[in-house]
Amino acid sequence: MSAVGAGAPRRRPFFLPFLLISLIAAGLFLAALGDVLHYSVRLFIPGSIEVGGFTLANFARLLRPIYRTVLLATLIISFLTAIFTLLLGYPVAYALVRVRRGWVRSLLIVLAITPLFTGEIVRTYAWILVLGTNGFINSILKALGIIGAPLSMLYTSFGVILALVQFSMPVMIMLLATAISHVDRSCERAAANLGASPLMVFWRVTLPLTTPGVVSGTVVIFAWTMSAFSTPQLIGGGKVLMLSNLVYLEGLTNLDFPLAAALSLLALVVAIGSLGLMRPAITRLERKATLY
Amino acid sequence: MRTDNEAAPPPPPAADPAANAVELVGVSKNFGAVAAVHTVTLAIRQGEVLTLLGPSGCGKTTLLNIIAGFEEPTRGRIQIDGRDVTLTPPHLRDTGMVFQNYALFPHMNVFENVAFGLSMRRMPKARIAIEVSRALEMVKLEGLGGRRVRQLSGGQQQRVALARAIVIQPKVLLLDEPLSALDKNLRGQMQIELKELHDRTGLTTVFVTHDQGEALSLSDRIVVLNRGEIQQIAAPLELYRRPANGFVASFIGDINHLPPAECHRYGSDILFRLTPAIELAMPARADLALRDDQKAHIFVRPEHLRIADETGEGRNRVLCQVVTHVYQGTHTLTRVEAVGLGLLQLRIPGGEIIERTPPGSRIVVTINLDEATVLAEA
Repeated sequence: MSAVGAGAPRRRPFFLPFLLISLIAAGLFLAALGDVLHYSVRLFIPGSIEVGGFTLANFARLLRPIYRTVLLATLIISFLTAIFTLLLGYPVAYALVRVRRGWVRSLLIVLAITPLFTGEIVRTYAWILVLGTNGFINSILKALGIIGAPLSMLYTSFGVILALVQFSMPVMIMLLATAISHVDRSCERAAANLGASPLMVFWRVTLPLTTPGVVSGTVVIFAWTMSAFSTPQLIGGGKVLMLSNLVYLEGLTNLDFPLAAALSLLALVVAIGSLGLMRPAITRLERKATLY
Repeated sequence: MRTDNEAAPPPPPAADPAANAVELVGVSKNFGAVAAVHTVTLAIRQGEVLTLLGPSGCGKTTLLNIIAGFEEPTRGRIQIDGRDVTLTPPHLRDTGMVFQNYALFPHMNVFENVAFGLSMRRMPKARIAIEVSRALEMVKLEGLGGRRVRQLSGGQQQRVALARAIVIQPKVLLLDEPLSALDKNLRGQMQIELKELHDRTGLTTVFVTHDQGEALSLSDRIVVLNRGEIQQIAAPLELYRRPANGFVASFIGDINHLPPAECHRYGSDILFRLTPAIELAMPARADLALRDDQKAHIFVRPEHLRIADETGEGRNRVLCQVVTHVYQGTHTLTRVEAVGLGLLQLRIPGGEIIERTPPGSRIVVTINLDEATVLAEA
């Protein structure tokens, strides 16, 4: 991004084509965004896909309790997803970096990364099969006699978060693995040498030294989950609404494009805002824990 | 009803000052098929500075890691302070290690780094503050407790690492090439400070280095290692004067390794025939049992070779041709070549020799074997 070295003494042969490509991509993105921005300030005409004149009423409509509830639910689901992904991802990333046996490491990489290569829809349907009333989990629990009536997991926030966590794991693991692999092992040895038990070594040295990775992983997953659509759509089944589902509902079912656009902008602002907060948070923590 | 006589507990074993701080018995360590350490038995005395010296890959760092508990020996056992610690994890061993790259905690300031070991020992905060400032004062960093580790110079980081290790009063202080990352001047200064620090703390110290100069100047005893095996354990002076084998002779200081010679007794002398034309004499020594006609290897230090004065008769005179001079300030290292002996090195005080005998000139060199090392061929 900062490659715009003014008056750079050396010619960079690839600079111009790269700049052009990114300019085109940025232009397309901004055009789409401009369209959203444009729709968000136009009057909604019920029963028509045409929009009226300039208005700020769409943003006022966002303040209605129903939208506030969905925004809150989206924030909570995204937050919980980020936290659970972190808690589950850290041990995997740690093992991935630290395991000595080559085949165990390869196995972990495959297990951690494969979800990236199965499509979102395929994966979500798999979760429906697992979580359903007659699904995998309920059948087993019933067969074992642990439960009498099937547990309802499908169409619940629990089911949505579970699927979102699995969806987010590969990214979290990659971010954490990078941070963990940068930890100087001799620091951990030094801590052990000074009397720290393995748990204390982790708590006082390894974890503090990986906080930048922990923060960026959590924030990235949080912002990413804010825009989740198909998982809450399919697993939530209309009972668990997140912002994207609301945008879809308003835009394509009610044909209320202006409101959908206003909702999209809201989601965008929250996502960008949380990413923007990440930088100062990491810098602050880095002043305590320096990795590089 | 007290029956003092019967119930009296046995007196605690008196601390034996001569006891060994660390003992390694038959320790081996294999990495796959490679033996990094091979059957090392070694007793480190209470309060001494013992140096593990050897070329890279000789197993000295592995040995240090075995003492610290970072490596488990394949065979053998380790005792620290009379307690078998072979299977004890590192954090329960009470050793203090200074790592080659210092391994300071980057997320803690100087004070927190030094205090770490004490807080792991659950020392009260007030006492930690006292102990830390005393340790920082010992390494001449008083007042820098609040500094971030990143703001320190290499030499200062080294001192923090030292303070962090000594503040816990370890049973043994382990130094893994601690001076190798410093520039030459600083290294010399730190050598002196390490010595003073040891005088003040009296900590048993194991020092790993590949630098023989460092080893000679800092150690009470030196263990020379090669390919995972102990070559010799001796005080610096003895190691220099009486190397046990060819490896030690050539590793410690400069030395001239003469071609194998045949020896004969001649009165109170032993004569070595190096070539048909060159025969060197040495007064017979009690520690040398040489049979007639036995082959022997002779090692002579450069300072025991002299340029003969023109008139002097003297023994062991060899005609040589000057090859090069390397001026070193206090002395000059002069390389000469003698027919049949190959290259020889002389250490001559001052630098006049450079002008007096330019390369190519012929000189007569006397080889004094009084302090030479002679190793009989089996």
